[in-house]
Amino acid sequence: MTSAADIRTRFRERGFVVDDAFATALEIMQALQKPLLIEGPAGVGKTESAKVLAEVLDTRLIRLQCYEGLDAMSALYEWNYPRQMLHARLSETSGASFEQREAEIFSETYLLKRPLLEALTQDQSPVLLIDEVDRADEAFEAYLLEVLAEWQVTIPELGTIRASHRPHVILTSNRTRELSDALRRRCLFLWLPYPSLDQEMEILRARVPGLSERLADRIAHLMQVLRGLPLQKAPGVAESLDWAMALMSLHREHLDTRTLEQTLGCVLKVHEDRAVVEAHRQAIAPYLSDSPPPVEAGGYGLDTDFGIGSVTRR
Amino acid sequence: MYPFGDLPGNLAAFCGQLRRQHGFRLGAGELRDAARALDVIELADERHVRDALRAILSSSRDTALTFDEAFDKFFFPGPEGVPQTGMPGPARRDQRPGTDGTEEGRQRPVGDRHAETDLDEDVAGGAGQVVMGDDAATVDEQAVRIARATYSPFAAEGRASLHLSPVQAEWREAARALLRRLHLGLSRRWRPGRRGRRFDLRRTWRASLQTGGEALTARWLRRVRRSPRFVLLIDGSRSMGRADTPALDLAVAIASVTTRIEVFAFSTALQAITNQVRRAAAGRAVDVELAREAWGGGTNIGASLQSFLRRHGERHVGRDTLVMILSDGLDVGEPDILRAAMRELHRQSAGVVWLNPLLETPGFEPTSRGMVAAWPFITTFSSVSNPTGLNRLSRLIRLR
Repeated sequence: MTSAADIRTRFRERGFVVDDAFATALEIMQALQKPLLIEGPAGVGKTESAKVLAEVLDTRLIRLQCYEGLDAMSALYEWNYPRQMLHARLSETSGASFEQREAEIFSETYLLKRPLLEALTQDQSPVLLIDEVDRADEAFEAYLLEVLAEWQVTIPELGTIRASHRPHVILTSNRTRELSDALRRRCLFLWLPYPSLDQEMEILRARVPGLSERLADRIAHLMQVLRGLPLQKAPGVAESLDWAMALMSLHREHLDTRTLEQTLGCVLKVHEDRAVVEAHRQAIAPYLSDSPPPVEAGGYGLDTDFGIGSVTRR
Repeated sequence: MYPFGDLPGNLAAFCGQLRRQHGFRLGAGELRDAARALDVIELADERHVRDALRAILSSSRDTALTFDEAFDKFFFPGPEGVPQTGMPGPARRDQRPGTDGTEEGRQRPVGDRHAETDLDEDVAGGAGQVVMGDDAATVDEQAVRIARATYSPFAAEGRASLHLSPVQAEWREAARALLRRLHLGLSRRWRPGRRGRRFDLRRTWRASLQTGGEALTARWLRRVRRSPRFVLLIDGSRSMGRADTPALDLAVAIASVTTRIEVFAFSTALQAITNQVRRAAAGRAVDVELAREAWGGGTNIGASLQSFLRRHGERHVGRDTLVMILSDGLDVGEPDILRAAMRELHRQSAGVVWLNPLLETPGFEPTSRGMVAAWPFITTFSSVSNPTGLNRLSRLIRLR
């Protein structure tokens, strides 16, 4: 896979819509063999893109989820102490020299590979996803630097392990803290904003196949309006997909005031935001079809004796 | 069309311009990567080149968003534009507005407009150069009239100079004590320590190699204490008068003991002064040139806090952040805006400390509109005018 256009089509086949900038960044990332740092608001598909990339390249996805307190032992490697001790005890009487025994104990057999080391020792370049790197401590970034710049890990007992096949690295960040310049400089950078109206329609079409064109249009328009409101937690693409799914499963063909109220929980995740939406009714109104909700048990249902009546007569 | 005949020359010149005019941090490595990328991609496709160079040369959201403008300016320089003369107005802008229709593009609350329009005004100018021609004098009178007509209590013109004196020993000691006393609980990270709560198998095992495989000394892991991040928002409005000197001293003092600090000055709009404060903390006297909107103008606390939250909140405020607002609380903006901003700050941070210099005045009651609006969301209300005051403060602050 080489060109950006190719990347676009193959991502699109898997239901993931990428724009030119994103596709080019992915192309450059593979050509230069540099990690790609993706920043953007929550729910715009940062993590998903790595998964799709792995599918497209038909390779393994190795994921490192960052969290506060993540250390080298859970990210790089760890020795398997119980097995090492067992081996040390058993080989006490074997007559081997100290050097031999040491080499045995600190060999790859007793090494537990964590995601970063795992990614460097694959036979085919994997996709390494370092998710939410801003959640890890500042100290952890230092561990990453050696891996990302030199593609190697130094294990004191074993020496330096170099990557035979450089992984495709994608780092994501939600910007809850500023990343260090050193880390940024080792990466290509992509700012992934909320999608435009057309992009969002395209995403809805790709991900929710049964969705009517009209409803997709309404959802995409409303999302643009909602993201413009001063909400505490603006809805991302994940929210609009959830919403479309919810409307589909409720068999709603129109988006009216009542449906909006019933399903707003898919979109707004903070209680105060409901009040904000309430206050901006007028901005939303043009995108609602204000036809009254269909009457459910009206009309002919009660007049006919089709059903219970006919049963009793028999 | 291009300043240089060959591609590498143009690329280098473009990088130089990004570095000098737009604050990009670029080195030889980036230039080499850019050259390699141009080798790979379709050179005839302008969008493709632009996207590729953006990915390589930008390294943050701000630089990514300014990139397109810089790219156009360098590779597609338009006509110079009609010379504009004599219009009064600020000549600089420090924050670039969002062009992607996300955060900054969102609808702003009414009061917020005052704070940001001044800084954004010259965006419309784009690449056009402001040329002061000979005819400037003739329209001078008219300009004065326009300037008078556009007067508002929020606006102030020109620039203010701000002096940051290097940190003094007593201030530094007091700040160190503050840092020592502030608890945020224990980090989830384990570090080796002489005494700890968790047995460190790895180090015990390593140490046992020296004693022939017998583990004689146990090694332990302990949790480290988390220290907070600081955000200082300093009110530089006229009403603060001389009370802003201790506020700046405080900022410099804290910056001298921790790097996890961000400092902003505001009057009717916000301006970051973190770098200058850090320089002063390193022991140099620093003079800062600030826009009048950020120093020495009127007071619009609510709008300033709002714009802080919108532009920097995500990055600088978290559950480990102590927000310190140094202001007299004499706000001319809408109390509702201040209330909403304070609620947000309180919700997102570890604590909101409000330091009000008026508290030093005997008989002062925080009954101004601004203070009343902010009151429910303040975790610690105090004042600091000298190192002793900071020592007292460090005993008062409670974090969540």
